[in-house]
Amino acid sequence: MISVPVVPPSRQASELHQGGSRPIPGSLPLSMPTHYATVGIIANPASGRDIRRLTAKASVFPTVEKANMIQRVLGALGATGIDRVLMMPDMTGIAAAVKRAVAAHAAESHIRWPEVEFMEMDISESVDDTFNAVELMCRRGVAAIVVLGGDGTHRAVAMRCGETPMATLSTGTNNAFPDLREATTAGFAAGLVASGRVAACNATRVNKRLLVEAPGRREVALVDVCVTRHLHVASRALWDAESLDELFVAFAEPDAVGLSSIAGLLHPVSRSAAHGLHVKFANDGREAIRHITAPIAPGLLASVGIAAFEVFPAESSISVATGSGTIALDGEREIEFGPQDHIVVRLDLRGPRTIDVAATMGFAAQRGLLDI
Amino acid sequence: MATELTKERLLEAYRTMRTIREFEDRIHADFSTGEIPGFVHLYAGEEASATGIIMHLSKADYIASTHRGHGHCIAKGVDVMSMMAEIWGKVTGTCRGKGGSMHIADLEQGMMGANGIVGGGGPLICGAALAMKMRKTDNVAICFFGDGASNQGTIFEAMNLATVWNLPVIFVAENNGYAEATSSSYSVACDNIADRASAFGMPGVIVDGFDFFAVHEAAGEAIARARKGGGPTLLEVKLSRYYGHFEGDQQKYRAPNEVANIKAAKDCLTSFAKRVTASGQLSQSDLARIDSEVGALIDESVRRAKSDPQPTAEDLLTDVYVSY
Repeated sequence: MISVPVVPPSRQASELHQGGSRPIPGSLPLSMPTHYATVGIIANPASGRDIRRLTAKASVFPTVEKANMIQRVLGALGATGIDRVLMMPDMTGIAAAVKRAVAAHAAESHIRWPEVEFMEMDISESVDDTFNAVELMCRRGVAAIVVLGGDGTHRAVAMRCGETPMATLSTGTNNAFPDLREATTAGFAAGLVASGRVAACNATRVNKRLLVEAPGRREVALVDVCVTRHLHVASRALWDAESLDELFVAFAEPDAVGLSSIAGLLHPVSRSAAHGLHVKFANDGREAIRHITAPIAPGLLASVGIAAFEVFPAESSISVATGSGTIALDGEREIEFGPQDHIVVRLDLRGPRTIDVAATMGFAAQRGLLDI
Repeated sequence: MATELTKERLLEAYRTMRTIREFEDRIHADFSTGEIPGFVHLYAGEEASATGIIMHLSKADYIASTHRGHGHCIAKGVDVMSMMAEIWGKVTGTCRGKGGSMHIADLEQGMMGANGIVGGGGPLICGAALAMKMRKTDNVAICFFGDGASNQGTIFEAMNLATVWNLPVIFVAENNGYAEATSSSYSVACDNIADRASAFGMPGVIVDGFDFFAVHEAAGEAIARARKGGGPTLLEVKLSRYYGHFEGDQQKYRAPNEVANIKAAKDCLTSFAKRVTASGQLSQSDLARIDSEVGALIDESVRRAKSDPQPTAEDLLTDVYVSY
């Protein structure tokens, strides 16, 4: 852990709301005055290494690149005057690489970075680490969380972050939810929002989410819920179109990759629309009304038969019709169920809040917020 | 759709994992009496890896194992009676009692041997794979190694050669977290062993080694790719060993409840049984019957091993060289 002077969350909040700031002695002109605001960073060490490297030629996202992206985020946050970053620790080297970089930066550069604090928490090398880190960050009053991962990582953060906005960066395998964009810009936007220079109403949006109720479990998906006839979770990913039975999507973009692309090519649904889509596939004896070629995973184009589809209205629920199989959340099998299990999917409009980087930077440009 | 495993195959998987567990648990108990010669390194806890991978193979496919090789041998079909006798140093053993735990080999089963040399399996398996390729078969060769061996030059050289020659090899890094007493989080410079795959131009995949179905599915994809001429793959199977590096290891380097917690939360046999009974694919009585049969098999293997004769002085210079 890198020790830093502690600023109580209450002080952070009050100074933020009052526009409290002070110049930093010796700071470069491009660095804005300090705002006592804290930003969290979650980087999933496991993202980008599952079986889709084999089945779909998906990209490898090395740890060193995740660490590089975090450094670019730190530079951008520092430039917007953010004084502190809380970062999730890990056992795979991301935090270690960032810690080395922070020390090197302090020794070599005059460009200001926020103080970086690696959170003290037990590490289980599972999704629980993300849950715990996000809960701790929210308790510490972070004003935004920068997330590096795929759909699964963002889903995990969304399950614990409440109203705290996420700046999304895709470093996973399937990235329908997070933005595929340069970390510097995302960090810049996160800093502008966290420091209060751009108000949340001008810079963030509330996303939809899908709620899944299964016996003994309540789960969340941000993009899609897929019912498959695989009986076991196994290696989690899905690459076999013939195993798909039903698909529920919160939004569906025609240029997406992953299962939601099927719905996107069938009947696009925007992120802001007050509905989703429910698709039944022409497997298991059902006749197809259409056939679609869709990129169901990076590098994997599949021919998919569609038996039926319908608009999925917000706040409505649909029961899963498949007798037994697995439920995939945002592209990864998570729940095994049998004929006796009743599964219900609901579309909820009160999902996680995310930072709209383009809108934030547009607002900043319009108001001259980055003028020196 | 990729077909689900049949009931027969699920029973086979459970029998293999249960046999490995019982075999290792029995050796753990018997080693403490001082009757078993030499060193033993036990595979208990890692059963889903050997079973999930080797179930895809035939006798004509080859594997190279490690010093922790009992599980690989059993999964590959080496006779359990002969293995137990070998470990007890008896003339009825797989290698006539002259190899011991770390050198069990059975070429008729496609088992190129456990190996006392850390990282020794890589070059061996590339040779086997080259022969398969030159003979134009669709066979594959599997190199098991650990996180310690992942740092050895032999493994790097083998991975390089496998890509250069596009060999049908699957490199399986069984990362149990410790190279003897050294944590892999300290000794492995990269963050995941699978990350090294890209440097050798092959796919690298991380698999949950506590989950038979995850291992079986990932291995199936890698092996099918290799059989079709797609080249080598690196699978990193993350798992844990239940016993020490060797029998007698005090394991001061592990947290007090580390193994107990893993057993309670992740045990591959418990997880497998829970899943296949919940899905209705197997019944509790199916599993109980196998438990009983395996228990009897291991009892009998120990009884025979104890009573069988040791090699004699006349056996000392036999089986040293192979005549072609």
